[in-house]
Amino acid sequence: MKIEYQNLNLILQKFKANPYKIYPVVTPHTGYIREFKIKEGDFVKGPFGKWLEKPGSPLFVLERERNQKIIRAKISGIVQKLRTELLNKFVEAEEIILEIKHPLSQEEIISEILLSALYIIKAPETARYILSPTIASKLEKEGLGKVKVKKGDEILIMAFMKRETPIYFSEEGNFVIYHLYFTPFQLIERDQPLIGFCQEENLPYLQKIIERIKEEWSNS
Amino acid sequence: MKERILIANRGEIALRIMEACKDLGIEYVVVYTKEDQDSLHVKLAEKKYRISDYRDMNDLLAVADEVKCTAIHPGYGFLSENYRFARRVVKRERSLIFIGPSWEAIRDLGNKLFLKKLAKNLGIPVIPGTTEPIYNEIEAELKAEELYENLNSQGINNPSLLIKPVAGGGGMGIAEVKDLEELRPTFRKIRAYAKRLFGDEGIIIEAKIPLLQHVEVQILGSKHGEYVHFGTRNCTIQSLSKQKRIEIAPGFNYESKYTFNFKEVEQNIINYSLKLAKYLNYDNAGTWEWLITPEGKYYLMEVNTRIQVENEISAKISFVKNKQINLIKEQIRIAFGEKLGYSQKDIKFKGTSIELRLVAEDTKRGFHPLSGTITKFRWTPQSWLTVRTHVPQDKPYTIPTQFDPNLALAIICGNNFEEAKKKSLEFLNDVIIEGYTPKGEKLITNIEFLKEKINELYKFIET
Repeated sequence: MKIEYQNLNLILQKFKANPYKIYPVVTPHTGYIREFKIKEGDFVKGPFGKWLEKPGSPLFVLERERNQKIIRAKISGIVQKLRTELLNKFVEAEEIILEIKHPLSQEEIISEILLSALYIIKAPETARYILSPTIASKLEKEGLGKVKVKKGDEILIMAFMKRETPIYFSEEGNFVIYHLYFTPFQLIERDQPLIGFCQEENLPYLQKIIERIKEEWSNS
Repeated sequence: MKERILIANRGEIALRIMEACKDLGIEYVVVYTKEDQDSLHVKLAEKKYRISDYRDMNDLLAVADEVKCTAIHPGYGFLSENYRFARRVVKRERSLIFIGPSWEAIRDLGNKLFLKKLAKNLGIPVIPGTTEPIYNEIEAELKAEELYENLNSQGINNPSLLIKPVAGGGGMGIAEVKDLEELRPTFRKIRAYAKRLFGDEGIIIEAKIPLLQHVEVQILGSKHGEYVHFGTRNCTIQSLSKQKRIEIAPGFNYESKYTFNFKEVEQNIINYSLKLAKYLNYDNAGTWEWLITPEGKYYLMEVNTRIQVENEISAKISFVKNKQINLIKEQIRIAFGEKLGYSQKDIKFKGTSIELRLVAEDTKRGFHPLSGTITKFRWTPQSWLTVRTHVPQDKPYTIPTQFDPNLALAIICGNNFEEAKKKSLEFLNDVIIEGYTPKGEKLITNIEFLKEKINELYKFIET
């Protein structure tokens, strides 16, 4: 196990001191910013609902080729560094328009801490990833924390430079898939975490850590 | 109105279009995506706009409007052969010039079955086979028997047939049938594959050409009904996935013996290419790709309605009134409505030119593309050498993973084939590309593969 129980306190303290993550909001494409729907300090909501089917709060309107598009928040938080000077200006793609200061939830803290506790497959390249069909169907049936993998199993498929490359599990021992960090078909930057695995014998211990975080976090 | 060109591409072709614009005194604007921000075309351009994707028509047109461009050069790849884009560029309210042939020509020539039918009607030889998509296996078997008998009567014993999806491309889903007994099961398999991958179950059946060379004709037409050709190129040496790796102009070895009259074959494929170009009022640069068999038979395979990567080897050996031609400049001039100002008799060919494509790929493991960082890229400048690259030489460069891992094109000139070959080897022994992969291993390129394959130039290959 990579996390000693004693170290957990330190890690938790760090998160307690700054329980936020900053998400920049960029333009998806070029166009004119026609209207800001928010102002500095507003609280915006990300997509919500059972399947995240309800869209996030509107942030601004981007117009291109006479089509107006409302750009919405992908995560909840407080609006900061809003660049109001860009109103009615032409902007390039991927231009940062504002930042959302997102308060981390209990679940997100767990996910962050699990990063250092689990065996992680990271993205070997900036590419798009999907679960291998066998793993995907097993996960659907059995759920996280149950699907066993062994060395040599095909776990993921990487779509990269117009080719599909399988990614195999390379650790000896009995592991289960514990956490998914990626969304299929989304472009994932190199070295970003994709999947977290836990050794079977460590499962109870990991559960204990999570219990501890839950306890600590609900207290704060 | 002052002309201004939007260069809707990346890499070395963006650089070559920039150079052509400068030579012609025309302003230009480049676009780039986030991954390409360190690329040379972005560094060297004064006016540049970041877009979401080189294939995003709306972004390209939005930038074109914003900076008041009057024309768009699509380069190769991306939207260059997308007739819907070409149509939209010229038909929109604020219309622009599309630097390429008319959208109708792109549409018609881009459809392989349409091209085959049209060519047949004009008496242009195409690979024997069906010209309509087949959807049921009884019909497929009938057509295959017919084709089989037909080939047998032409003296081809035990011909193999190819079963291909109509909608495919790049060699995907092609199966070989050696025996008519295998036809039905193979047909069913490929039809299911085609439905899954392309959503279209249409199948075509063609004769397999077992030994061939790949020769293409460079055509240029203007809006004033002028047509010329810039000879042929031989592009037989390709990677596993049928991507060209070494090209040579002219397309036939003038110093070697063929079992057929190669000069006659070359003239015939040029004349047939021109015939089709004239029929469609083709009004820009285009490439007619042909398959040549060891018996001297030739078949039109496809037409590329854009500038080719390897256009420069033709330019290097083509002289108009004693001046070397630049096909990209010609493309731009023609698109703005200028006359050619010369005819075929003014074009003289001299020497041999070879293009080597330097690619970060593992040629021993199925041409697996590699990403990574280039730390050193050096070669000795020579009078006979032109290197086209977007990789900066003064700082490390990370190869973006969204595109093909092409690093550079080396264009080598010689007075004849042997000299060009010798100089190509000299370059390959001299050039240094060093770098590392994301895993920290040494970056591999295809230089050794190119050294080996240079000896196979002008040879027939098995398919």
